[in-house]
Amino acid sequence: MTETVLALVLGVLFAAGTFLVLRRDLVRVVFGVLVLSQATNVYLVTVGGISGVAPIVGHGDGAVTDPLVQALVLTAVVIGFATTALLLVLVYRTYQEHGTIDLEDVEGVVR
Amino acid sequence: MTTNLVVAPLLVALVTAIACLLVRTLPRLQRACSLLGGLGYAAAVALLVARVWPAHTLAYQVGDWPAPYGITLVADPLSAFMLALAALVALPTLVYSLSYVSGEGQRVSYHTLFHFLLVGTTGAFLTGDVFNLFVWFEVTLMASYGLVAFYSGRESTFAATRYVVLNLVGSSVMLLAVGGLYGVTGTLNMADIARWLADASASEAAPVLGLSLLLLVVFALKAGLVPLQWWVPSAYAAAPAPASAMLAGVAKKVGVYAIVRLGFVVFGAAAPGVVAPGVGTGLLAAYGPVLFVLAGASVLVGGIAAIDRPTIEETLAYSSIGQVGFIVLPLAVAAAVPDLRAVGVAAALVYALNHALAKPLLFLAAGAVRDAAGTTDLDALGGLAGRTPVLAGALLVGGLSLVGIPPLAGFFGKLLVFRTAALGAQTVTLALAVLGALLTVAYVSRLWIRACWGEPTPAVDAMADPGRVHVAVVVVLAVLVVAVGVGFDPVYRFATAAGHVATDAGRDAYVRAVLGGGL
Repeated sequence: MTETVLALVLGVLFAAGTFLVLRRDLVRVVFGVLVLSQATNVYLVTVGGISGVAPIVGHGDGAVTDPLVQALVLTAVVIGFATTALLLVLVYRTYQEHGTIDLEDVEGVVR
Repeated sequence: MTTNLVVAPLLVALVTAIACLLVRTLPRLQRACSLLGGLGYAAAVALLVARVWPAHTLAYQVGDWPAPYGITLVADPLSAFMLALAALVALPTLVYSLSYVSGEGQRVSYHTLFHFLLVGTTGAFLTGDVFNLFVWFEVTLMASYGLVAFYSGRESTFAATRYVVLNLVGSSVMLLAVGGLYGVTGTLNMADIARWLADASASEAAPVLGLSLLLLVVFALKAGLVPLQWWVPSAYAAAPAPASAMLAGVAKKVGVYAIVRLGFVVFGAAAPGVVAPGVGTGLLAAYGPVLFVLAGASVLVGGIAAIDRPTIEETLAYSSIGQVGFIVLPLAVAAAVPDLRAVGVAAALVYALNHALAKPLLFLAAGAVRDAAGTTDLDALGGLAGRTPVLAGALLVGGLSLVGIPPLAGFFGKLLVFRTAALGAQTVTLALAVLGALLTVAYVSRLWIRACWGEPTPAVDAMADPGRVHVAVVVVLAVLVVAVGVGFDPVYRFATAAGHVATDAGRDAYVRAVLGGGL
């Protein structure tokens, strides 16, 4: 049940991210990139299994959740944070230089 | 046998990058530090190449965690070849930067970004772990974002924004594929994935086909192959000339390297029972047509678009799209014809070396012209050969090497690409390569004749003498292009040893070195 819901949520997230990336408004593009990278992180967490217990000796019985994917997500989140911050700076600089964040108008002045 | 040497180039570049940040208040010390770091990097790479030569594989287990639990750094002939290529480009480019980039720019960020670019590419060449490869890609990209946005004017800001957005989407896709691979194979170590694939049944390995194609697309984006080439021209035009030289010469090759390493060494291990719909069996058979379309389209689009560009840099940027197509063309043949794996990969590596020397040479020469004349507009230039014969001569050497005239490095690059296509009886590939070569002749001769031939134009008459360091570095690169062509035998043997890792025996040696015990 949870798997089905998560699969659907992932699909919606990727669709929303793709939709936003294709917008003319540069800030929406940034949001789209953000949604895409977060959707990827959610996908990674589901790869490790979501029904198990914490992988600590003596913590509980039954299948454990794979902790490795969570370490990967942690790394990916940190990298995503840094690159998104840089992207936001660049978008702001683009606004300063071009006076607009509408991609049609920006494309008009640059090749 | 100790394998600590494997980590040396990485450490040298990392320490230099941080040191350049720490001493930024003392410009002279910072420059000395950066140059020393560049020399140290070249020395570390030379030592490593000497240890790997002729065909050893050194595996360094980081933190002494045994593979596949820890991260493994692996130096085999393929990695060593790419590292040697990076060092050959980086050192002259760094010397050039010292006198080209403004003092303010050098003080604030240039040296740190330059060395972090080296850190990222070195890590990507050495790592034996798929997720770690993702991290090194990000390090490389972070530094290149900074270099593309370096001038922070109208054009470079927007070029950098475009570059960042494209690569962030690319990174998400790569992470998705890496996560999927881990879910399917249960490991991230490249050698361990190869071993898993060799043992897996066809139905178990089937999901890897889609995931590996996703990875291939991301690598094509990094290499700037059509239809993912949109970031290339604006990014190269925006970055300072030495940074463009590094991006075109070294950073792009990371994508090519990743295609070889993962496509041929890792995914090539899959049992032939895995069916690729429509094209036969085996994972590699499925990559063949994909690589062919990407490479063929790049050769044509890059070549045709380069013919009528208004400036030298733009011509070079489009040319680099076409030239990377030439690098990937033999890989497409190698993927389709199992007997040609080693030959095809060796051809791609030789061509990559040629492009890695010739393109920075041309970018740096263009930078010297821009510095002295204030423009690289082909309408404004003319008669450079009379004004600065040395610079014009170097431009000619670089251009002819792209065309493939003996005895330059480019001749053997082109020769091996044609030979691979002919051996594989791939008529269409061969025809495409000939067409691409004709296009190269067209845009190189146009570039040189418009810029260097004829009577000097007012802009050339008024131009200052090009900087002596600039000319010296460009000449050094031109000599290297000639030297690689004249003394081609050791280069060819090195490339053949590197191509050997794509064969079954080479893969077995790789897996043995990393995991102990063969496939």
